[in-house]
Amino acid sequence: MARGNNRRRSMLSWAVMKDGRTLWTLNAVPKTTVYGESLRNFSGTEFRRWDPTRSKLGAALVRTRRAPELLLPEEGTTVLYLGAGHGTSISHLHDHLCGAENDLSGRLVAVDLAPRCLRELTHMAKSRPGLVPVLGDARKHAAWGVLLPRKVNWLFQDVAQAGQVDIFIAACRRFLERNGTGLLSLKAASERWTGEGEEALFTSVEQTLESSGFEVEERIELAGYEDNHVLFAVRKLE
Amino acid sequence: MSPEGVGKDRVPHCGQNIEKGHNYEYLSLSELQPASCLILIAKVVVRGLLRSGKGEDMLLVRRCMWLWYDWRAAAIADDEGTILDDEQWDGFLDQRSVVARLECIAAGGLTPEARTLLERFPDALPRVHGESDLPQADWPLPSQKAQQAVDQAAIAMATLGVAQAAGDPDRRLEHLMRASDEMRSTFITMEARLVEWVGLFLPEARFGADRSALGKTVSEAESLEHLSKTLDVSMPPVGPGKSEWKSLKEWGQSVSVFRGQLDRLENAIRNLSEQHLPSLSALLGPLLAARLCVEAHGRMRLARLPAGTLQVLGAEKAFFNHLKTGAPPPKHGHIFMHPWISRSPRWVRGKISRTVAAKASIAAKIDAFEGEPWGEQEMRELEQKVEDIRQAHSSPPSRRG
Repeated sequence: MARGNNRRRSMLSWAVMKDGRTLWTLNAVPKTTVYGESLRNFSGTEFRRWDPTRSKLGAALVRTRRAPELLLPEEGTTVLYLGAGHGTSISHLHDHLCGAENDLSGRLVAVDLAPRCLRELTHMAKSRPGLVPVLGDARKHAAWGVLLPRKVNWLFQDVAQAGQVDIFIAACRRFLERNGTGLLSLKAASERWTGEGEEALFTSVEQTLESSGFEVEERIELAGYEDNHVLFAVRKLE
Repeated sequence: MSPEGVGKDRVPHCGQNIEKGHNYEYLSLSELQPASCLILIAKVVVRGLLRSGKGEDMLLVRRCMWLWYDWRAAAIADDEGTILDDEQWDGFLDQRSVVARLECIAAGGLTPEARTLLERFPDALPRVHGESDLPQADWPLPSQKAQQAVDQAAIAMATLGVAQAAGDPDRRLEHLMRASDEMRSTFITMEARLVEWVGLFLPEARFGADRSALGKTVSEAESLEHLSKTLDVSMPPVGPGKSEWKSLKEWGQSVSVFRGQLDRLENAIRNLSEQHLPSLSALLGPLLAARLCVEAHGRMRLARLPAGTLQVLGAEKAFFNHLKTGAPPPKHGHIFMHPWISRSPRWVRGKISRTVAAKASIAAKIDAFEGEPWGEQEMRELEQKVEDIRQAHSSPPSRRG
């Protein structure tokens, strides 16, 4: 296999780079890693490797058949991330959205229910201004909705619990702008087993989304990186 | 639904009831119900009239006002979205007050600005920012500086919420329980090795069932000769080398340290369990009560389990095998550890565990909803019941049935 010089290197955004098959983001906090990922210098700037097996957003960027840029928010905007987890995806998203010391004045509102996850996120928020961790339920908008005075253009949801689609639709109705991008990472194992298999579940979710005023732009299978998961990229029509 | 300060729900986060630790009075929306109901009815009537075409002159009557508010401002607007009045708070640099306001909104209360405006416009319908029935209007949204202040407050709130998670007895009990399980399995392996190791050099030594002092004896012995004298056996022709003996001695030290640690761990579990699950501890003993609570992932979830599930908690493998293949269902899970069940004849264990689980399920509910805890008396009653079952089935059932 020809490697090295033959690798195709392309920038997906100012901070996200695709080098061959691996993804890298420009490290907003130089010389530090968040979850043990590797750091590498590309012509003088330090990048962090975005591990697609650890991040569903990363996996989607690798797997998408469209231009991967379409899955990323515009830098320097406010975005909402439901189900923040331990902050693996969040850290890379922050690299792209805010940059070092929040040069781009982006805002990343990250909601998670588990105090264990928030422990990592609040720690990360100290070194990454622009990241706003929220300890709260993704369904209870009243509790943290005031943190988002305006609607956002990009919303990501990765909550592994039953009724993921309803949570997503409700969140998009309230927080997503018209024509905004919504990404729903759907975990089949979290939904009630209907006996018809995963494929039927994904199809029915797609129909629900279509009938709720969204255009499903792409359905990205994450199998291989994250089994029993599909990521829906939708656009809000109404 | 759950009462305040119970199990997992004790961890305050902005989605739940938060302790009223600050100065703002809460004005609950439910107090406003009568007025807003009237307005809603009026609105529906007016809309109906408009739709039926009669309402051209009714437009004058249509006076539904909305009170919009967020953490730092409040405004009154009519149905068309024209702002009639607003009120803004400029003290947003003080993080503690911002946190208090965010908590107030999360708890469903009104901010001071909103209350001021509600006094001026008692007919207005209060709605927090972002609610779907608010009309489109040019609401006084926070400036960038205010936004930064609220972001800092949000981080402070998250940090506080994380810190308060340590107060959750369910999580503490889980760590204690798992630690004790891990320590016990390590301890048993190490103790068994110590017995084998000493037995290799002193083949005549017999420890029998009581090995509890062996770790201490070995750690206190100065040499193998000293140890053989303590154990009252003769010295073998081959002994360990100097460093080998030291390792053996240190192994004995670890075993005796582990034993002490394990006792202290279990005492800690007993103490916490008696506080957190008083009724269940009285009924089944604190260690079993703690195990059931941990297996059910928390006191509140344990209280919501039916008695039948509580009975087979811990026997998941057998239970799902039963569902899958139709094998006989398990009669008991962790509850088997209780001597009423494990020391009873085989043929009544199922009956007893059913009875005990039913009572334990009630006790778990009393604990979770913080009722009057059960004590000695209820335990005796149940013991009597168990005894009655044993008496009623004193001989094994006939195989020919």
